[in-house]
Amino acid sequence: MENLLTINNLQLIYHSPKSETQALKDLTFSVQEGEFVSIVGPSGCGKTTILSLIAGILRPTSGEILLANEKIEKPTSLVGYMFQRDNLFEWLNIWKNVTLGLRLKKSLTNENKEYARSLLKKYGLEEFSSSMPSELSGGMRQRVALIRTLCLRPKLLLLDEPFSALDYQTRLLVQDDVSSIIKSEKKTAVLVTHDIYEAIAMSTRIVVLSSRPGTVKKIIDLDFDPALTPFNRRKLKKFNKYFDEIWGLLQ
Amino acid sequence: MKKYSLSHKRYLRNLYLKDFFTHLVRVLLLLAIIGLWELSASKNWADPFITSSPSRVVKQLVALISNGSLWHHSWVTLYETLLAFGISTLLGTGVALILYLLPFMRRVLEPYLIVLNALPKIALGPLIIVWVGTGTKAIVVMGILICIVITTISMLSGYLSVEKEKILLMKTMGASPLQILFRLIIPASFPDFISVLKINVGMSFVGTIMGEYLTSKAGLGYLIVYGGQVFKLDLVMSAIVVLCLMATLMYALVALLEKCVKRR
Ligand SMILES: Nc1ncnc2c1ncn2[C@@H]1O[C@H](COP(=O)(O)OP(=O)(O)OP(=O)(O)O)[C@@H](O)[C@H]1O
Ligand SMILES: [Mg+2]
Repeated sequence: MENLLTINNLQLIYHSPKSETQALKDLTFSVQEGEFVSIVGPSGCGKTTILSLIAGILRPTSGEILLANEKIEKPTSLVGYMFQRDNLFEWLNIWKNVTLGLRLKKSLTNENKEYARSLLKKYGLEEFSSSMPSELSGGMRQRVALIRTLCLRPKLLLLDEPFSALDYQTRLLVQDDVSSIIKSEKKTAVLVTHDIYEAIAMSTRIVVLSSRPGTVKKIIDLDFDPALTPFNRRKLKKFNKYFDEIWGLLQ
Repeated sequence: MKKYSLSHKRYLRNLYLKDFFTHLVRVLLLLAIIGLWELSASKNWADPFITSSPSRVVKQLVALISNGSLWHHSWVTLYETLLAFGISTLLGTGVALILYLLPFMRRVLEPYLIVLNALPKIALGPLIIVWVGTGTKAIVVMGILICIVITTISMLSGYLSVEKEKILLMKTMGASPLQILFRLIIPASFPDFISVLKINVGMSFVGTIMGEYLTSKAGLGYLIVYGGQVFKLDLVMSAIVVLCLMATLMYALVALLEKCVKRR
């Protein structure tokens, strides 16, 4: 399969009046189409920075990022970014939140509306179309945020700790939801997480980063039956083996 | 109708009673103040010539209504206040927007804003009169000066407090700077706008009355100054009562606007 995303020797230095911070150093890895790659690493090692760079909202100090063989210079519609917080606009109802990106791109065609509607329906939010975000639970809001991202039909989804604001039970449920949504919409995804269990449950591959400046410590290919849901993966012996390996790497 | 449990019914009943009691005490308090005021005047505990009294205020108001001057003075003050309110809100919101969009200018002007905010605007009174002349114009300018700085500062901090992540989100969805402005910054700072309106209701009255103290031939501020000078405290009190009513009404209108927009 072809590389959808290639990251080559990426460096990033943050500048502030008092100091400079090297967040990333010699970072190299790639993501193939259809993969679900998780990035784990100590706090402050530059995980969010990587996503910002891929999303084109930050420019690298040196090195390059190729997306479908093109260098990323600015945000592109090939990439959808889901933040830690759902960032729903409280003054817009669910339908308007979901179609925000389409409106921005002036592509609110009947076809796209139909797609948005079908996503809402498929993921159990159709009846909330005209509700306001404040009337939804945390898990529902997170699903709305995902659908908002999917509406623009990105090839690559960037997820920055999208479940960390949820309580444990909801988190497990939403992980299954999101995983099945991403699978059935045939998306490629890069997930940043603190939660090693979450990374093992959801990904096909895990990139373990060193502490700052972030660089690849190890890449672990996970060998699970693709039909397994994240929840069911947790029941396997392998699961704990992977956990121990990653835990060891992070010490 | 939903069927509630006994404890919930009791809870609702208590809630209702508490609410009722609050209103009751409020009204009683007002009546008590008025009653005590009237009593102290009639028993000559305090000299009604200085403290006036409710019955005198009513008499004064009736007189003002019957010779038509109440409408005239109230209208003059209301007109000046609305002008100052409207112009300063629009200008302040606009200036804040420009400062928001031009970070360099914002940094340069920041200390000036702070000084302007701290400056007691009444000190500019004589300048205003020399520059724009006496009368309505000077009064409205005074009102604007009082409202505009705080409007600018509040709106600017409203725009600036829009979450960075939401701006980034818009960018990742390919939004242009104008789209970010109109679809995010402005709607997100609407609550700040409403609170600015609420502040400005009070401030624009302050400005207008101060302006009228400074230079006027009509208006409630004029009545108050005039009443004070000729020791007609009934007149002063009547004007203050009318002022209270007008400010309350305007505040209620803003609150109504807020409700309407929120429900949409
Ligand atoms: N705008 C910025 N200016 C200066 N330094 C920054 C900036 N953003 C991040 N940093 C620094 O760069 C490093 C990497 O930050 P980043 O947010 O990418 O880490 P992270 O791995 O996502 O951390 P966490 O796991 O806590 O979310 C941190 O040490 C942080 O302090
Ligand atoms: Mg982060």
